[in-house]
Amino acid sequence: MELDLSKYLGLFVSESREHLDALSRNLVDLEKSDPPGVPAIVDDMFRHAHSVKGMAGTMQFDGIALVAHRAEDVIGALRGRSGPVEADVVDVLLAATDALQAMVQSTAGGGPPGAPDEALVARLARVASALKPAAGAAPHPAPEAPPAAEPAAAVPPPPAAPARLAVEVEVAAACPVPSVRGYLVLKRLEALGKVVSAAPGQEDLRAGRIPDRRLTATVETALEPDAIERALAQIADLSQVAVRPAEARPAAPAPPAPPRAEPAADPNRTVRVRAELLDDFLDVVGELLLATARLRAVGRAIPEAQRRPHDEGVDRLHGIVKDLHGKVMAARMTPLTLLSDRLPRAARDLARRSGKQVDVAVSGAEIEIDRSLVEDIADPVLHVLRNAVDHGLENPAERISSGKSATGHVEVSARRERDRLVLEIADDGRGMDPERLRQAAVERGAISREAAAALSDAEALELSCLPGVSTARVLTDVSGRGVGMDAVKKAVEALGGSLAIDSRRGRGTRISMRLPLTVAVQPLLLVRVGSEILGLPVAKVHGAAEVEVERLERSGGAPLLGFAGGHVPVHDLGRLIGLPPARTSGRRSIVVTEAEGGRVGLAVDQLLGQEEAVLKPLHRPLSLVPGLSAVTVLGSGRPVFVLDVPRLVAA
Amino acid sequence: MAKKVLIVDDAIFMRNMIKDIFASGGFDVVGEAANGLEAVEKFKELRPDVTTMDIVMPFKSGIEATREIVKVDPRAVVVMCSALGQESLVMEAIEAGASDFIVKPFKSEDVLSVVRKVLGSA
Repeated sequence: MELDLSKYLGLFVSESREHLDALSRNLVDLEKSDPPGVPAIVDDMFRHAHSVKGMAGTMQFDGIALVAHRAEDVIGALRGRSGPVEADVVDVLLAATDALQAMVQSTAGGGPPGAPDEALVARLARVASALKPAAGAAPHPAPEAPPAAEPAAAVPPPPAAPARLAVEVEVAAACPVPSVRGYLVLKRLEALGKVVSAAPGQEDLRAGRIPDRRLTATVETALEPDAIERALAQIADLSQVAVRPAEARPAAPAPPAPPRAEPAADPNRTVRVRAELLDDFLDVVGELLLATARLRAVGRAIPEAQRRPHDEGVDRLHGIVKDLHGKVMAARMTPLTLLSDRLPRAARDLARRSGKQVDVAVSGAEIEIDRSLVEDIADPVLHVLRNAVDHGLENPAERISSGKSATGHVEVSARRERDRLVLEIADDGRGMDPERLRQAAVERGAISREAAAALSDAEALELSCLPGVSTARVLTDVSGRGVGMDAVKKAVEALGGSLAIDSRRGRGTRISMRLPLTVAVQPLLLVRVGSEILGLPVAKVHGAAEVEVERLERSGGAPLLGFAGGHVPVHDLGRLIGLPPARTSGRRSIVVTEAEGGRVGLAVDQLLGQEEAVLKPLHRPLSLVPGLSAVTVLGSGRPVFVLDVPRLVAA
Repeated sequence: MAKKVLIVDDAIFMRNMIKDIFASGGFDVVGEAANGLEAVEKFKELRPDVTTMDIVMPFKSGIEATREIVKVDPRAVVVMCSALGQESLVMEAIEAGASDFIVKPFKSEDVLSVVRKVLGSA
């Protein structure tokens, strides 16, 4: 019978990715590791490459299997060698890992993996064979020469490895509790060697499951098959016992032969879910929240006296939906593996390209945030890292002459502060020069000379986030900050976060991003302008005041509101969004919120209150309108646009 | 030489029945215990070749007693006497070091065959 492989595609893609991510991580570790730590890493690497090869072979993705096999050859050749691993070897393996990722990715949609890159395959083969003589010269007694070009299963086990035995037993039909018997067999095997895989696994047996009263297991043991057989013969009620060598397999703790075999012990039971399904869940919960709000609104039409049962029902529904929402959000939380997986690798590539020495320390990768944010913060973080390495860090000679170590340090850390994620990227490079930033900003026409002079040094650092200023070539070289800080700031703010810069000349720079841990439901301040209702993210609102606009001080035509010991310029929100001129006199409400380069006041007709809203992203053409960030639907069914104030004011 | 057996069960009825089964099979029943505490004491004193162990008993359960006996002698052979519906307890006993188990209600040949197997004399 033909096996339907497409059924396993999802698992193939996700597990391959995990292995390849881990391999990439291993490679970066390998370069940093002291020789004593290397064999364990190499073993790990071998297992990852081997797993990908095996899975790809099973899926009949021959191109992937070939590249994985060649990579495995190279890794195999590293085994038993002492001393550091050459950067060239790491390079070619990283290239192979990337190529494999790309091929795996292209199978994800059901397409073919594409042909393997011939040049890469040839390069891997060359590196593998070049490594071989070195393996022969290693001090180990029996260094095995890894095969360069044999077919997949031909990788021999290394010397002192215990053999793998396949054990198969059948419990007698007379036994009233076959699963317990299976469990006993498993325990006995565990006492005799290492149970690499078992079907059914321990959990299934505990639950009383042992299909067809049969148990198969792969055991790694130094004992002969006979000895195992004798030991099992002491267990009653087994109608059949067979022990034979498992098919040749590398001795690295490679995964079991049958890809779906249950591992022997599985303390944390998890299931894999398609990522899009989690998005769908969130959408549906969002709809539920809205529907609940709508019900509540409808209830207001019921006479007060008869309303209680309705309101109680709605309250209860709301409670349940909130609970569900919390659970869906929890299911969407995912660790910041970006930090542990991609950053060290990216830093390494950057350093190698720029000829600098960089040590990247990462902490907090275990912190969990919403999966949609994980994707979205990748770019800004990588961008800042690139700046730190390319522009922040000096080259080794320059560092030494200024009394620093030749190796530059970049620290990337994540931590939770209540409901916020704080991501910091700090380097010990040359730092930024506030004076040069002031000059550059003035030269670019971004601010006036007077305004520049009035800025404190800390505020001047923020100038690097103005478009045009940070892209100034001269700045790149002098200030130590490179391109695109404006893009970084925008991206962070689009996620509902904020950015802070701290820098000392000659000492280094620290960029801090404060980000929400979750998205989707945000408290909004609803305001009315004319007949329009608009939403402002409450997180950005600093306060509100009710004033008579004509009584406000003016500076250069714009009214100024005294607020928190300073002055904020007041804009008419109606005018900003292009409504016909509103009344400009009389008492109006002013909401103080954040914009580019400081706070602004927005004059509105009425504050309507706060509402928890599920934000939906805008699609074209609305997404092209500057000043709008999202849309939500009120309980009344009325759609409300959420404003992106910084862009609205800048537009 | 006949193999020495220690029988642990809180029910005299059961102890007697098991005693008869072993006697008919040519075993030497050297002692009996009515609870887990006693079982451990008797084991230390008698050093039997095999101990049959009830699971649910006063003072100290058969699982706990098994754990202590195996600690005293890692090569001790303890066979659990369980009932249907006690599967998870038996698994726990296996974790604790039990060598095998029999399920009540049992026939005499069942008991003997399990014990002989586990002693490697089948």
